[in-house]
Amino acid sequence: MVEVSTPTRWALRLLAVGYVFFLVAWPTGLLAFRTFEEGTANLLDTLREPDVQAALQLTGKVALLAVLINLLFGVTISILLVRYEFPGKRLLSALIDLPLSVSPVVVGLALVLVYNSRDGWFGPTLEENSVQVIFSTPGLVMATTFVALPLVIREIVPVLTEIGDDQEQAARSLGASAPQTFWRITLPSIKWAVVYGVVLATARSVGEFGAVKVVSNNISGKTQTATLMVEEKYQNFAQDQAYAIAFLLVLVSIACLVTVALLRPKTEE
Amino acid sequence: MSIDITGVTKKFGDFVALDNVNVTIPTGQLTALLGPSGGGKSTLLRIIAGLDSADEGSISIEGADATKLPPQKRNVGFVFQHYAVFKHMTVAKNVAFGLEIRKRPKAEVQRRVEELLDLVHLSQFSHRMPSQLSGGQRQRMALARALAVEPTVLLLDEPFGALDAKVRKELRDWLRRLHDEVHVTTVFVTHDQEEALEVADEIVVINEGRVEQIGSPEQLYDEPANDFVMGFLGEVTTLGGVVVRPHDVEVALQPSGNGEVAATVTRVLRVGFEVRLTVTTETGEEVIVTMTRSHLRQLGADEGTKVWLSISKGAITVARSGGVPATV
Repeated sequence: MVEVSTPTRWALRLLAVGYVFFLVAWPTGLLAFRTFEEGTANLLDTLREPDVQAALQLTGKVALLAVLINLLFGVTISILLVRYEFPGKRLLSALIDLPLSVSPVVVGLALVLVYNSRDGWFGPTLEENSVQVIFSTPGLVMATTFVALPLVIREIVPVLTEIGDDQEQAARSLGASAPQTFWRITLPSIKWAVVYGVVLATARSVGEFGAVKVVSNNISGKTQTATLMVEEKYQNFAQDQAYAIAFLLVLVSIACLVTVALLRPKTEE
Repeated sequence: MSIDITGVTKKFGDFVALDNVNVTIPTGQLTALLGPSGGGKSTLLRIIAGLDSADEGSISIEGADATKLPPQKRNVGFVFQHYAVFKHMTVAKNVAFGLEIRKRPKAEVQRRVEELLDLVHLSQFSHRMPSQLSGGQRQRMALARALAVEPTVLLLDEPFGALDAKVRKELRDWLRRLHDEVHVTTVFVTHDQEEALEVADEIVVINEGRVEQIGSPEQLYDEPANDFVMGFLGEVTTLGGVVVRPHDVEVALQPSGNGEVAATVTRVLRVGFEVRLTVTTETGEEVIVTMTRSHLRQLGADEGTKVWLSISKGAITVARSGGVPATV
């Protein structure tokens, strides 16, 4: 390492710590402070409200479904992208990155265009079969899945590329069928990438706001997720409750990070 | 016959990796596929294993047609150049893999794994992870893993290519001894002629997608089919349009009238106990001659000395652009 003089070293440390403090630690800390300013009563009262419970449950349900779908398709698409050659592969790869670069509001609007029950492409047909997408849970799940789509894939693809297909070929030559090779060789090798992808996708899904806002009609107890409720409470001057729910959302993210930190060192030796 | 390869052709785009290859590999022997890099020998091995498929031609293993069989149904053991160890499993689990896939009883798996680890001298490492092993140990583990399923044929793709020279030599001897113990039909790919000559019972020389010659190490060395085989198995030089080994060129200070070629020594290079002379004939042909230092001292030649060259009696020679071997 290059030697750096003591003052420079301290200046650099101060800069890095200050940056993270003012941007992340202080605002989040203040959120926790406001939540518990008058003890735990505020948080507990907020949690007792049926609408809040419904919103949290909806967020949990939507996030769980979105993560499951992204996990399933993410692993499949990653293997397809890395292990097989097919026409349009580069296009598919580029499309997968689209949700990262496009604003979630656009995602919501696009979904409304296709699935709305009046003049959408599939909307009226689905409506006739009594499936409502927009202003309903399926729409929320689709919007959330869309925005979190690249996260699992972008974690797995580099790892799959790096490990190569030697081990898979060896397994095949030893008599393993394709599914056996996947469960016994491929999946254990990409396990950590999958875990990271899922954690990132979970955090993103729980926190999604923009796309969900467009496809939800924001009815408390029905289509209002936790993030939407934070906004509503805040705008209705129920700031304490807004802080309490926001604090819970932060807690989920922290829980995700702690889970990874706890799991990792034990098995990676 | 154990493996019959008939009319196998394989193309990658417009590159012809294998061009109508016909080889029969005998049962119970150690056969080397020898040739320069990119010559198609690894492709042939992968086609035998079912890891690649031939565009044309057929493969039969132990008399049964295997051309369309997926790799897991061919009962071959394959050892990769870069070991292809299962990184997330212990050494014992790696070796047990094929047996567990075949749903063998636990006790049998355990007994067999112990036997094999003993065979490859890795018993004390059975609970280690592959990352804790050296390259040579990993390759021995990969070999035990391939042998565990009692394959009809054992295929090794440049098995020692990634190892340093000393370990390479040890493993080479060890493979020969192992084969004498287990007698499984073994095919290994190498670009190292010394390795092939030392270890193999039979050598198949492959170049540019074609089989140049098949034979025992002695046959290949003593009766090379053409100048490529001769050149690949050892150092060669040309004298009067004939390919010959540099130590088979006789140098004399006086002509004896038996059709010697007049030439001048242009360069003398000492390499250890050996001396390499570059001798230029009157027609401008540069001939390499090797001899011992003491021989050169007796001869008393040096740079600029006028000499007469001839090919020694009984030397192996081949006409320059293919043809039948001739003995002088």
